[in-house]
Amino acid sequence: MFFKQILSNIKKNRKDNGLFFATLLIAIVAFYTLLSLESQDVMRFLKTLEGDAIQKLMLLVPLIYVVSLFFVFFLVYFAYKYQMENRRKEFGLYLMFGMKRGRLFLMLMCETILNSMLSVFIGIPVALLLTESISLTTARLVGLGIIGHQFSLSPAAILGTVCGFFLVQLMAMLILSIHFCRMEPADLIRAEADIAPKNVSGKKGILSFVFGILFLALAYATGVTLLNRFEGLPTLLVLVFGTLGTFWLYRGLGTFIEHALQARKAKKSGLYTFTGRQIQENVLNQHASLAVSSLLLLMALACISFGIGMGMGRTAADARACDFSLMGSEEEVTAFVQKKENQDMIEVCYPMYIGNIYQGDYTLSATGLVDAIKKTPQNDLRDKIIENLSMDDNYLHLFPVSSFNNLLASMGEEKIQLNDNQAAFYSRMAADSPNYLEIWEAALKSGAYAEFKAPDGSSKKVELLPDVYYNNIVADRAITLSTTLILPDDLYTTLTTPLAESKASMADGIANAGEETSGMADVTKSSDDYDDNDATIPFAWNIRIKDVIVKNEGLLPAIMKMDERLVQAGLSYDSYLGGIGRNLFYTVASSYLSIYLGVLFLLIANTVLVLKYLIWQKMNRRRYLTLMMLGAEKKAISLSMETQIRLYFLLVLGVALVNSVFAIWSMFKSFVRLPAGTSLEMVALLACIELVCFVLVELLYIYIVQRKSRKEILSLHVSERPE
Amino acid sequence: MNTNRILQVQNISKTYGKGSSSTTALSGVSFDVLEGEFLGIMGASGSGKTTLLNCIATMQKPTSGKILLNGEDISAFKGKSLANYRGNKIGYLYQSFELLENLTASENIILPLSLHGVRNQDAEQALIPLAKHLDITDVLNKFPTQMSGGQKQRVAAARAFISNPDIVLADEPTGALDSKNAKILLDKLSVLNRQEKKTIVMVTHDANAASYCSRILFIQDGTIFHELRKSIKNETPAMFYERIMTVIAQLGGGSANVL
Repeated sequence: MFFKQILSNIKKNRKDNGLFFATLLIAIVAFYTLLSLESQDVMRFLKTLEGDAIQKLMLLVPLIYVVSLFFVFFLVYFAYKYQMENRRKEFGLYLMFGMKRGRLFLMLMCETILNSMLSVFIGIPVALLLTESISLTTARLVGLGIIGHQFSLSPAAILGTVCGFFLVQLMAMLILSIHFCRMEPADLIRAEADIAPKNVSGKKGILSFVFGILFLALAYATGVTLLNRFEGLPTLLVLVFGTLGTFWLYRGLGTFIEHALQARKAKKSGLYTFTGRQIQENVLNQHASLAVSSLLLLMALACISFGIGMGMGRTAADARACDFSLMGSEEEVTAFVQKKENQDMIEVCYPMYIGNIYQGDYTLSATGLVDAIKKTPQNDLRDKIIENLSMDDNYLHLFPVSSFNNLLASMGEEKIQLNDNQAAFYSRMAADSPNYLEIWEAALKSGAYAEFKAPDGSSKKVELLPDVYYNNIVADRAITLSTTLILPDDLYTTLTTPLAESKASMADGIANAGEETSGMADVTKSSDDYDDNDATIPFAWNIRIKDVIVKNEGLLPAIMKMDERLVQAGLSYDSYLGGIGRNLFYTVASSYLSIYLGVLFLLIANTVLVLKYLIWQKMNRRRYLTLMMLGAEKKAISLSMETQIRLYFLLVLGVALVNSVFAIWSMFKSFVRLPAGTSLEMVALLACIELVCFVLVELLYIYIVQRKSRKEILSLHVSERPE
Repeated sequence: MNTNRILQVQNISKTYGKGSSSTTALSGVSFDVLEGEFLGIMGASGSGKTTLLNCIATMQKPTSGKILLNGEDISAFKGKSLANYRGNKIGYLYQSFELLENLTASENIILPLSLHGVRNQDAEQALIPLAKHLDITDVLNKFPTQMSGGQKQRVAAARAFISNPDIVLADEPTGALDSKNAKILLDKLSVLNRQEKKTIVMVTHDANAASYCSRILFIQDGTIFHELRKSIKNETPAMFYERIMTVIAQLGGGSANVL
């Protein structure tokens, strides 16, 4: 009998309360999505490349899981509270009919457990479906589609989800059951709980409101001006000012509404005063939870923006210059490249040379560069560049133009044409910093030159071409060169080798290598001569895989195949895959997790808002009945209620939006950097899409509440007014 | 005495449920209320007196019969005209006050006017004399939680009278008040009735409260069973009270004893 009753209760509750069940499902999906991260396609792929980093990331998952548990607890708590408030009369009657408190408690707990089981049975397949589609989508987005999707049912994740879900449910229900079972039957039977109205104390409220705004302004100012990196003090200041400001603002908002209402109500009629008072009372009674919801929404927006920003920053990877850079002697490299099976795959193999000015012979006079830079508008970065250029010339690296042209050719770009008195400017920094690129482009256009002074007093002057080159010269980001000149081969040899040595043969060697853009370079040096400091020895051998193979097999599988062969050959190398792996890792780690948290916060904040409003509405039933008895039409009451809902959401959303504008602004100004070349239109477009999605989600929630409330109003009938 | 019939209740019946399980709350009740009358309706619990009042207030629809207010059939009211009837033509005083807790006294009082499009500042003009008469000027800016039960009920009374309705319906208005506050309220109501010619219909089972009325209908098992009329010229409230008590005693003994 007891069990039968529990079952019928569950059935009834489920029918009455779609929102409640939707909330429970959200909780399950949230847990599973997080816990199954490890078995997602992208993660499985990354494990093969960046095992250590993934391991570290996976250590982070439990932490985020605990954070999720904490927030989902509130979600479940409010969902259950809403349900219990709806059922209080029923509990009162049970007690009056002689049910023991202990038994009522037992009944509620049994219901919770059965409910949880049911939710798990529905929720897990939903979660699986969702994670599978996320897995497929991300795999597609990052170009892993070819690797082959694997159905990723993760037993550990299911176990974690179920345990976490039950824990959260039982805790929420335990607290609520104890509260409700302790109440007197008479209090329970009265269908509505008492609303304890709070009085408006004028001065305190206004003070709180003013301080709230002041603190928020301080937080904004600190965030935008002081927050440069994720530093301790400014971050702490922003957090403290922002949180305090938001809480105080909401605390004082009730008084503010009082003043606004007093000023305006004289000329109004209808339900204007009532609507105003309802909102005011809501704010006065729930200012803390409004503040928390608003902050949660802020966190949601910030997390999602951060995720998108990071994702953008990393997915805008470099154009593929080459697939592998081998570090080894010519013999080793030649042996590998000339193997039949490898030859079939390799489109081109060419050496890359990097050199410095040979110490003690020539010196660089940077006057021509400094003067050109000085013509650009003054800023910190420009001054830094000038300072660097004015130091000794150790920083300066040199490329022979033929070697660099090989790289350009293999990428399908136009070669650099230099005459004897010309040079080109290369800086890898220009790829990462748009400001750096801008300064150098301006400087080169105004006409820059470099001068090399020989010990005998003679000098060689080269004019710089107006373009800045910043292609990656190896497969991964193994080296970063800040200031490099691309020189004619002869000049390169002259500057990088001791004056005493014979130059001609060197120059020939390099020139020959330069001509080989297809197949192997004509290698004449023996491995004994290999020396890291020797500018005439290639720094690395770049290999590019045939486009046909890439097209047929896909870039990643092709690279992975070659990767295996290189490992077998025992060569040390740098691969494009490493770059992709690192990019992917950052994309997944930062974007995925922060977007996950963002969406979770968004769901929780909104659900809490909705449920709080609906509980509130339930308590107001009697008021609406009185209004009807006083001659208010249902339509007018509905309108008033819709205005209340809109304003209620607007109060939370408005503050959250203003806060997040500043939060995102300071975030992108400080620790999130968008990659060079990200157009303002793109950023604006993404921001707009995010905002539109956010607004749509909120409108959906507002619609749900309004529909539910309207239904409730329509169901009211004056005759049910309790006597 | 004015013989203008403001409310005509014609043969109304109210049955709850259907078929064999039906219960009759009212069966063929008819009476008129004259303008300026203070009519009491007395009866034991379950006698049907609240159902009767609810039918007049349009909170319930009678199963059969008609109720006319100033000659208009109130069961024909729907939508706007129904809202207008509730807000303008009748005032209602509840046992449990039914003030909105989050509105100040003055906001509560002028709500019926507000609901019918009167601007708040104009409505507040109408409020001042009424507030003076009911002795609630001090609490006008207070919220219900800051008032005593007596003050709350007088605020509720002000709300019932503010729109100058044709008739005020009061359902056990002293039910939640102590005797002192009950007396104050009844005194104020009867002054409003005598001086301002306000028509009041009050349901009560308290003989003391009923003794303020000018006429009392006794209702039992859904029918009007007796009527008492106060002789205004030569009857004191105490004498009227005794007559009421006699009827109540006879009610307990059954209809055979009553003349």
